[in-house]
Amino acid sequence: MRSRKLNLTNWFLKTALVVLLLIPFTPSSAHIVAQEPWHPVAQAYLRAIFYANLKPINWDLIAEEYEKQIAEPGYKSKTVYDLIAVIEKTDKTDHVESIRKAIEDKDPRAFYSSSTRALSHYIRYHLEEADSKIDKPGVALNDVLEAKRLYRALEDFIEQVDQEAYDQMGRSWLSLTSSVGSAGVMEIGVLKPDEPNFRKVSGYITQYLKTNYEFRDFSDQDTLLPLPKYKSSSNGKVEIAPWLPPGSNLNDQRPLPRLVLNFEARGLDEKDLFLVAYGDMLFDSPEIFGEPARSFGIACSTCHNRSDINQSFMIPGVSERAGSADVDSHLFNSRFNDHKNDSLDIPSLRGLRFTAPYGRDGRFASLREFTRNVMVNEFGGREPTPFMLDAIVTYMLEFDWLPSMYLEPDGILNDKASASAKRGEKIFNTEYKSMGGRACSTCHIPSSNFLDGLRHDITSGNSSGPGARDTFFDTPTLINVKHTGPYLHNGSLETLGDVVQWFNVRFELGLKERQKADLTSYLETVGTGEEPYEVFDNDNTQFLLDWSELSTFLTTLDTLIPAEDEYHTKLLIQTVSSDLRLDASGLQDRSQAPKVYALADKLDEILVAVEAQDWEKSQTLWTEYKTMEVEYGSEFK
Amino acid sequence: MRHFTILWFIITALIISVAGYDKEAFSLNEEAKKDDPLVLAFIPQENPEKLIGDIEIIIEYLQKEMGVPVKGYVTQDHAAAVEALRNGEADISFMGGLPYVLAHEIIGAEVILSEVYRGSPTYRARIFVLRDSGIEKVEDLKGKSIAFADPLSESGFIYPLEIMVEAGLLKRGDDPKEVFSNVYFAGGYQQAIQALANGLVDAAGVSQFADLLLTPEQLPKITWIAESKPIPSHLVCVRKGLDKERVDAFKQAMLKLNQPENKHLLKYVYSPDGYIEASHSDYKSVEVIARQYGFLN
Repeated sequence: MRSRKLNLTNWFLKTALVVLLLIPFTPSSAHIVAQEPWHPVAQAYLRAIFYANLKPINWDLIAEEYEKQIAEPGYKSKTVYDLIAVIEKTDKTDHVESIRKAIEDKDPRAFYSSSTRALSHYIRYHLEEADSKIDKPGVALNDVLEAKRLYRALEDFIEQVDQEAYDQMGRSWLSLTSSVGSAGVMEIGVLKPDEPNFRKVSGYITQYLKTNYEFRDFSDQDTLLPLPKYKSSSNGKVEIAPWLPPGSNLNDQRPLPRLVLNFEARGLDEKDLFLVAYGDMLFDSPEIFGEPARSFGIACSTCHNRSDINQSFMIPGVSERAGSADVDSHLFNSRFNDHKNDSLDIPSLRGLRFTAPYGRDGRFASLREFTRNVMVNEFGGREPTPFMLDAIVTYMLEFDWLPSMYLEPDGILNDKASASAKRGEKIFNTEYKSMGGRACSTCHIPSSNFLDGLRHDITSGNSSGPGARDTFFDTPTLINVKHTGPYLHNGSLETLGDVVQWFNVRFELGLKERQKADLTSYLETVGTGEEPYEVFDNDNTQFLLDWSELSTFLTTLDTLIPAEDEYHTKLLIQTVSSDLRLDASGLQDRSQAPKVYALADKLDEILVAVEAQDWEKSQTLWTEYKTMEVEYGSEFK
Repeated sequence: MRHFTILWFIITALIISVAGYDKEAFSLNEEAKKDDPLVLAFIPQENPEKLIGDIEIIIEYLQKEMGVPVKGYVTQDHAAAVEALRNGEADISFMGGLPYVLAHEIIGAEVILSEVYRGSPTYRARIFVLRDSGIEKVEDLKGKSIAFADPLSESGFIYPLEIMVEAGLLKRGDDPKEVFSNVYFAGGYQQAIQALANGLVDAAGVSQFADLLLTPEQLPKITWIAESKPIPSHLVCVRKGLDKERVDAFKQAMLKLNQPENKHLLKYVYSPDGYIEASHSDYKSVEVIARQYGFLN
């Protein structure tokens, strides 16, 4: 199991096109470099447009983007509406009212039109501000950069449909920042502005924006995406690569969970376990999913970091909160869209062989069926081969829990547990009338891995209607639970203390403060795993961890190439070659990157040979790769 | 006589009044000096709004450590920071090497701390190009377009020019526009390196760390063909005449950020790996360059 490292901007633009420019102010003075943030208006716009393209449209979310107070210092106590309102003072426009009305009317096209016009106008507003200061060296730069920071919301879409215009606009922004001059320091190094050039270039950008983004009639546009009008209306249907809105985060969580595999306790090496190694690769492969997940680089491991969870995973509009996702929404597979906003907390897969049935509501008794459903239905992948299902299930069945220092094999606390935890254990085993004569331990059976294998309605969910029974959820284990917050099926409770309080209120348990503290202590003790997180140091860097995993995956070529198994060989190489290039960014010594790229190139050569079904050449190249791997591998850090 | 007496009275009263006023004023100033806040100027970086939030945290730390009131604000740019040091609006400023050597020469500012990144108080400028562009050496850049960060940037302009000078492509003082087809000041490292990654320019002359601003997908497409001599890293300097005790107390408080229990605070002050003590001699090389490029006589 391994995980991809894609930062937000990165995958947002991975497919959609790559461009993350723009910074406000004068960051040439920045110390070590850092990614620029999204402009609040550009961010709200893109998120709202993203929501408007989902089905059903969550208008509350759209309204919130424009109405909520901006969190960034400097914009505090302001909303996006407040910022947009500035331009109305000078131009007697009605952007705020138009956007508000479109949201109230729940009219996607009117919303797209009004919000897009407002954004374009806001960009021009900053250009006009810059123009008013252009005679003073360097003073206009901030407004130019602010304008460009707003333009960032549009540029990726422009690039996809009109590369020429994208290049021209990109060079125009460069020309603008170069035309404003420099104030120097104490009159030293003053660079005079080039006012004619500034006005010429600013005029070009202004005209482009007016022509393409400030129209009211868009009846000829069949998508609600900020595409330049003349292109979207003249080229017929325009294909746009999958994209995700600002605020999305597919990076692994930090700290990274520690992976515990059952066979390792027996001293075995994954390289000697063909099915496990191939399954491990599949668990980390976006290739087994369809679009858009594949383009986003989403694999099983994206949500289940190292068999556990990913508390950072976030896609606005799809995740109700970080660490959750609505996997049967419109985004991943429209054919599987249940048209419900039912974001679920990502569950840990540790101890998976004991946690059947599968799914939050336990809808699948079989892990194999559950896994196929994830691949084919939730994420729109091709039908997996029996071998793929065998491999990935075999791998996942190796997931063990983190060992506990406080639990006996029968789930009873040992002597290392605190007195408070032991008092909490008694409460945990106490039967309450208000719970139908049941105890916590009735469902979370300590001697059965704190599971009962059943579904219960504890009234934490929202029913679709009378008799719907869709508020029943699978009993989760409490082993390692300390590390898997937030809690409940939807992640609505942040801490185990919150969980105790929720049950105390919901079931009128009448627990006093100390009892609640004791019960919380018990849950934390039961839920504590040894060394829960991967420890990185000079001998175990992120790159070395990735490198080791990829090398393990590749050992399956020793079996696949002689078997002349084209389909599974290609899937493996496509996954590893792509990951290897991405992982190079994690090298501590970046000068080693070309060697990593060379290894990836060699894998691509093998791929070509496999596609030509030249198995002899494939074997030769694979042998060459192994030689390079030995030679280079020892130098990587 | 009467008039004289009245005049004398008035004069005496004025003298007493003025003397009394002066005495009171002096006393007030002394007291105010003790309570005067230490004022820090922060130069803007990629996210000035975030920086405003960050400096609140670092100021709280410094106040607690130093036991004196501390204030801070984000300046419009380097020029404003230097001006603030000159007119006493700021006591201490975070800044880059080039503005510092100008401030040192003209207003007597003194560096006291250098930032440390990746274990070093120096970094380098690099010339980045697209890997498949066929540009393999600096000389190949002739007639190509290039993006720099800012005309007042060491790693984002001056040191990249030095790379060209050493390669014989330029002479100091030459207008780079005579060598390149287009010369852009993109406004920052990120804008410059992204302009390259997006194919808008043939090269970018920026900090060695600028490739951290590329996505993992972009990284394989970019390489660098030359790098500059080490550049002393960004720094903290104090205005001329600032009370030595205050300087020392501030320096000690900042150096305590290197301790494991305080390291997490470094992310609120430009995110270096740490600070080390520094003196002007550490920035002599920048001063030499500044003279060579006409910033100083």
